[in-house]
Amino acid sequence: MPAYRSCRRDGMRHMGKVMKMADPALVDPLANPAGVKTRVVDTDVHHQIRDQAELYPFLSRNDRQRLKEYGLPKNGNIYHGSGGFRGARADCFDLGEEVDPRTRIELFQKKLLDGCGIDRAILQGEYTPAVAALVDLDYCAALCRALNDWSLAHWIDRDPRFRLALTVPMQDPVLAAKEIHRLGDHPAVVAVYAVCGSPRLYGQRYYDPIYAACVEHGLAFALHFSNEGSGVNPAPTAAGHPSYYAETYLIRPQFYQAHLSSFIFEGTFEKFPKLKVAFLESGFGWVPSFRWRADAAWKALRAQTPWVKRLPSEYIAEHIRFSTQPFEDTDPPGALVHLLEEMDGGRTLMFASDFPHWDFDPPDAIARRLPAALRKGVLEDNAFGTYPKLT
Amino acid sequence: MNPARGTSHRVCQAGELPPGKRKIVAIHDREIGVFNLGGRYYALRNRCPHRGAPLCEGKLIDLVTAERPYAPANEREGEILRCPWHGWEFDITTGRSVCLPDKVRAKSYPAGVEKAPETATVEHYDVTEDDGWVVVWLSAGEGAPR
Repeated sequence: MPAYRSCRRDGMRHMGKVMKMADPALVDPLANPAGVKTRVVDTDVHHQIRDQAELYPFLSRNDRQRLKEYGLPKNGNIYHGSGGFRGARADCFDLGEEVDPRTRIELFQKKLLDGCGIDRAILQGEYTPAVAALVDLDYCAALCRALNDWSLAHWIDRDPRFRLALTVPMQDPVLAAKEIHRLGDHPAVVAVYAVCGSPRLYGQRYYDPIYAACVEHGLAFALHFSNEGSGVNPAPTAAGHPSYYAETYLIRPQFYQAHLSSFIFEGTFEKFPKLKVAFLESGFGWVPSFRWRADAAWKALRAQTPWVKRLPSEYIAEHIRFSTQPFEDTDPPGALVHLLEEMDGGRTLMFASDFPHWDFDPPDAIARRLPAALRKGVLEDNAFGTYPKLT
Repeated sequence: MNPARGTSHRVCQAGELPPGKRKIVAIHDREIGVFNLGGRYYALRNRCPHRGAPLCEGKLIDLVTAERPYAPANEREGEILRCPWHGWEFDITTGRSVCLPDKVRAKSYPAGVEKAPETATVEHYDVTEDDGWVVVWLSAGEGAPR
């Protein structure tokens, strides 16, 4: 048994006998047919700061006093609920309920990196949605800078397997670009992280300075749900506010669809032909339907946005990569094969675990669900193709 | 019968189809739209390959292009036929769609003006020397009575 199999031990102990009897090619789903382990890139991992005092060295005296007095902003969770325990895996609270597992680097190393055989984990701050929603743009930018510097010092520098997606003040693209220019060439910085909740859709030219900076520094633009309906952002659906967390969990694909439509029809990829966009925690069952609808819309209405020169599905195939998590439990299970074929999943999917969140997907279980021929692409190659600076 | 172009079918007298106008006629079992674009004639089958709409009843529009986002430019004034149902655009001069020119085409036929009546069996009209008939040529087998 490879060491990284331990991530499944908690839940799979009872399946030991089944595992021993399985086809050797299936015993290690993270290895190629020759037995060589695939490098596994986890594109969506969420770390958090435990003690705000660790940010003080990275702030001006004025901003430091403000943080001391008012504390870090909290995520605007309008549902007052999530899954698991406080949104995380309940098995990650071994130090007590008050210790947030997102703050424990040693837990990430043990349960995720070592335990699951993850070779690269891209950190997307748990703090980002709350900080990125601040309406005081300069304070927002100051906290973004401090949290990026803190992540580099307290996480990146402590384990060579971590990479960082930058937190930037999306509401002010000029300030955001400034932060990208400040840290974009750091070898561990591989992306710019933005959340779907936003006063405007991300294809709009208002945001162009951010994409220009991403391309200049070889960073992917990583989009992840959050902040829909909170702060200055519009309701999570155009038809109104859902009441329950389960509803917003279910309807997340539309957040990504709205931004994807915007990227396509605003001509973002005509302006930035090298830009790569990662859709994280997007799921992917909706992608074939979206591609068909987008192509139909373009065929009918092309003349209204003549700068869209190719089929939307072609832009998607070239520029967008979707995360596996939350993995689609197709029913019947065999339907997954058709889904993967329709969206060319071997090229367009990237593995994500979402550690340590409650709806975590472990890489070996996901690899087992994938046709063997697609595993290396999804676990390794597609991420390296999407994050130009990832090494 | 012109072996290169097929059998000619009269549409109307040339004077009845001035530039910018169209005429839809039935030739045997199919409808064909004939367009006069600045003195040149083009014919397309009146059936959209997408959903079977009466394509030739669509609006004539320009070809709208853009070198870069947010900079639309109009070219080829009135040479594009926009399907009346779902808006797919077709180049009248070739039948090719604008969205997928190599994959989606409307059936097109050669069209033009024949100066002299070809046969004496058609109904007689006063046709001057300079006028003539707008005709569509269908190749052998096309449009034959079934």
